[in-house]
Amino acid sequence: MAIKLGGEFEVRRALEEVFDFLTDPNRFAPLLPEFQGMSMQDATHFTVKVNVGVSYIKGIADVKLELSENQRPARAQYKGQGSVAGGTVAVTASFDLSHLDGVTKVNWQGEAQVFGRLASVAGGLLEPLGKKNVQKLINGLQTALAGQQPEPSAVPSAVPATEPPATEESGA
Amino acid sequence: MNQQDSNARKNWVGQSLPRKEENRLLRGRGKFTDDIKRREMLYLSFVRSPYAHAKILNVDVSAAQALPGVVGTLTGAEIAPQTQPFIEIGPDPFARIKDYPLGVTKVRYQGEPVAAVVAESAALAEDAAELVQVEYEALDPVVDAEEALKDRSLLHEEAGTNRVWNGVFEYGDVEKAFKEAAHVVSIDRLHFHRFSSTPLENNVIIAEWNPKDERIYYSCNNSFPSFAIQFLAAHLNVHIDRIRVETFDIGGSFGIKITSYPQMAVCALVSKKAGGRPVKWVETRSEHLSSSAHGNERTFRDTRVALDKDGVITAVASRHIDDCGAYPRYEPLGCVIWSQVFPGVYRFKNARIDFSQAVTNKCPVGPNRGYSRMQHLWFLERVVDICAHELGIPPDEMRLRNYIRPEEFPYTTPNGCVYDSGNYPKMLDVAKQQIGWDDWKKKQAAARKEGRLIGIGIGTTLDSGTNNFGQSQIVNPGLPYSGNSQGANCKLDIYGEVVVAVGSCPQGQGHETTAAQVVADVLGIHPDMVTVRTGFDTERNVHTGFSGTYASQFAVSGLSAVHGAAQKLKAEMKRLGAFALQTNEGELEFGTGAEGPELRARTTGKSINYWGLANLVNANSAALPPDLYELTLNCRYIWRAPFKVPDKIKKYGNLTLTYASQLHIAVVEVERDTFIPRILDYIAVDDCGKVINPPIVEGQVYGATAHGIGAALMETCVYDAVGNMLTSTFSDYTPITAVNMPNVRYGHVETPSPHSYSGAKGMGEGGAAPVHTISAALQDALFAEGVIIDDSFNNGDRLFRAIVTREFGQAEKLVKVEKRL
Repeated sequence: MAIKLGGEFEVRRALEEVFDFLTDPNRFAPLLPEFQGMSMQDATHFTVKVNVGVSYIKGIADVKLELSENQRPARAQYKGQGSVAGGTVAVTASFDLSHLDGVTKVNWQGEAQVFGRLASVAGGLLEPLGKKNVQKLINGLQTALAGQQPEPSAVPSAVPATEPPATEESGA
Repeated sequence: MNQQDSNARKNWVGQSLPRKEENRLLRGRGKFTDDIKRREMLYLSFVRSPYAHAKILNVDVSAAQALPGVVGTLTGAEIAPQTQPFIEIGPDPFARIKDYPLGVTKVRYQGEPVAAVVAESAALAEDAAELVQVEYEALDPVVDAEEALKDRSLLHEEAGTNRVWNGVFEYGDVEKAFKEAAHVVSIDRLHFHRFSSTPLENNVIIAEWNPKDERIYYSCNNSFPSFAIQFLAAHLNVHIDRIRVETFDIGGSFGIKITSYPQMAVCALVSKKAGGRPVKWVETRSEHLSSSAHGNERTFRDTRVALDKDGVITAVASRHIDDCGAYPRYEPLGCVIWSQVFPGVYRFKNARIDFSQAVTNKCPVGPNRGYSRMQHLWFLERVVDICAHELGIPPDEMRLRNYIRPEEFPYTTPNGCVYDSGNYPKMLDVAKQQIGWDDWKKKQAAARKEGRLIGIGIGTTLDSGTNNFGQSQIVNPGLPYSGNSQGANCKLDIYGEVVVAVGSCPQGQGHETTAAQVVADVLGIHPDMVTVRTGFDTERNVHTGFSGTYASQFAVSGLSAVHGAAQKLKAEMKRLGAFALQTNEGELEFGTGAEGPELRARTTGKSINYWGLANLVNANSAALPPDLYELTLNCRYIWRAPFKVPDKIKKYGNLTLTYASQLHIAVVEVERDTFIPRILDYIAVDDCGKVINPPIVEGQVYGATAHGIGAALMETCVYDAVGNMLTSTFSDYTPITAVNMPNVRYGHVETPSPHSYSGAKGMGEGGAAPVHTISAALQDALFAEGVIIDDSFNNGDRLFRAIVTREFGQAEKLVKVEKRL
């Protein structure tokens, strides 16, 4: 099943500063909800450990991530794949940045393709859980960026993308 | 007549006897496979694929093996070199595919096993399985059979196509019938959904590959062991006689436990690797729902129906696409089994069905109750109702105009099947009377004025029983199967007890009771004096290659074998009795005396009881004259069905021996606010010929009705676009329970079969009558909304999407009518 989320937020920081923050795994990854640790393979490849708990499926997921696009300072994209007991998740997260009047606007899109028992037994819970965790991530980003900027200039928003998750009955 | 004979003189067949099985089952004294504990037994857990379609790049079992308590692991890569791929029933190119019980280089459905872990406890095995790391490379999944036929993403590269089988079934003069038709109705697409069975007991297997005698011992609940051992022997490279399968009480199968042989293979191979320690696997409910077996899903495209001016169907042409999931296994038998009921209960003689079957990245199918025939029968019932509506003919009248008439039986169908007996108009009449058809019509008219959506639907269907396995040669002319047979053994044991062993593998159908009734009638004793052994054992029970419990056949094949064995025993007892009582056989009568069942001479009054007879053969044989040495009082009988091999080219021949029929009527209301369909009234009329035991038949009718209502309204296997099964728990699959069951009325019509010794017809599958009937009732409720019921599954959500958001079933897109008169 596919979960697609998207939204935008604004911070009163320079475009390059925001971009550098988002593309630095050492600063970005710890903001992931339920972050447990990470290891860097090279400058663009790293593995993050996060706690996963959906219904009775609980455990630590190893998510291998790659900074797959790095067009400083306009666009960045992470791609990755994670596994946890009962399922695997393929994730893509992209950030498109623009700057106007001292404010950097971050337009983000995230997609998670979930495979396995995780989708089978907890499919209905995944989308709200995903939304909740994305909101946490955005809040974390804002807080972290706010540490360098006393007054955040915009309220974050996390809204679902227009395309609904694919849950249709096959062949019907 | 002795007092004791008063009961024995009854004809026990036809009596409403309580089931012998209830004594232990209702008191919790049944013995199921999971009740068995063996010394040094290990427990198995499968590692399953999260992907519907992927390459297996690496399987790392090291972490699992390092866990204390883990005894061993097994991967597909280990299995492939030491086994043969499973036998394929279909012809080339699908005969070339390599089906192993664990994924070797690829996985083809979510939940496919890729490795097995065995440990000292079930919990340890489950924990260890989670430590197995499998590296996959995801491939494009295909979850729709029509899409699969485009071969854009191949499941089995060895075959070079996803098309498992294709054949055209054509009879009569179809073109002429369409040319001369008064009306032609075209239906673009109909779809029969994928659902399964939910037996109380999931699959359970204990396997022991004994290193001392190099034999494999199974205790399990497979419901067709004589079929399973044929697959297992070839796969495991052992002689079939080195495999012993025992079953015990079985908590339901409904056909889908037939295909548990892949898991049986893994359990045996792990046992072998573990030095012969017994290995038990107990399937979880999620495993059962996602990866045991589902019923076949089928799509009906480009249907055209020719009718005369009176609404009599003269021809049907259509293209059918069956989805068998990732591996054919029991398939492509379903590609021909539907044609046992080719015209359904109708008289049309001209038809052309282009039938294809495709593999998809979904759970493999198995012969689920009503296997392959219910899909076709649902299709025909949809066709009849849609045509009736388009021509303005009431659905009951439409059926009466098209039913095969009672005087036409035995009736030969266009494809050569011989319907033994039936009276469909009478069944309709009985059903209408019992449900109060006219009253409901009035209530419906009044309710519609209030804006309520109430529909009344009829479903007429067939339960064909006792297959001619020669039909397998229609799908693959090279197969060495034809006819049908069943074995039974009936004996007097050393102390004179009548003991019967059947070749079937009962799962709740009351075989112990009905077999006892048959033997009791032959020997003139009470059924309680007959012991029918519980369960099945390939070493102990007489069986043939067709033995098992499936395809509604026990009442015909199983009881015919029992009857034959009892007759042989009776003949031996008479010869022995004549010697013992110094009289001739014509003087002897069977009955029950003061010392139990006995033979006695009418004129002298002398008698000998069963112990005395058994003693003569087993323990006092010096008293026997040589001409009686051949008597054993241990009689085996193999019953064979009178079939011929069908014409493989013309696809013509008698494919089944008996045709039980069902006629159901449902009154259903779709709630305006929630779109949830509610059953307001329901009648199930059944004709299975001579009834052996009425409560058992009635119970099977209720069971099949519940199964069908669940399928029609609550149970569906939902896959998302990437092949995740989204209904693998009871929270999502929502099987029907007693709480959801409406109050079902029961009616009975009896047209004895001329093709069985007792007049009985096999029954129990019910032809999925409720699926057809509820579709018909919903259709009746929604014609005015411009909605065609184009799918066999209709819950509130689907009806909302048909009525309000108009995503499905729009009449103007689906149905076209050409009226030439």
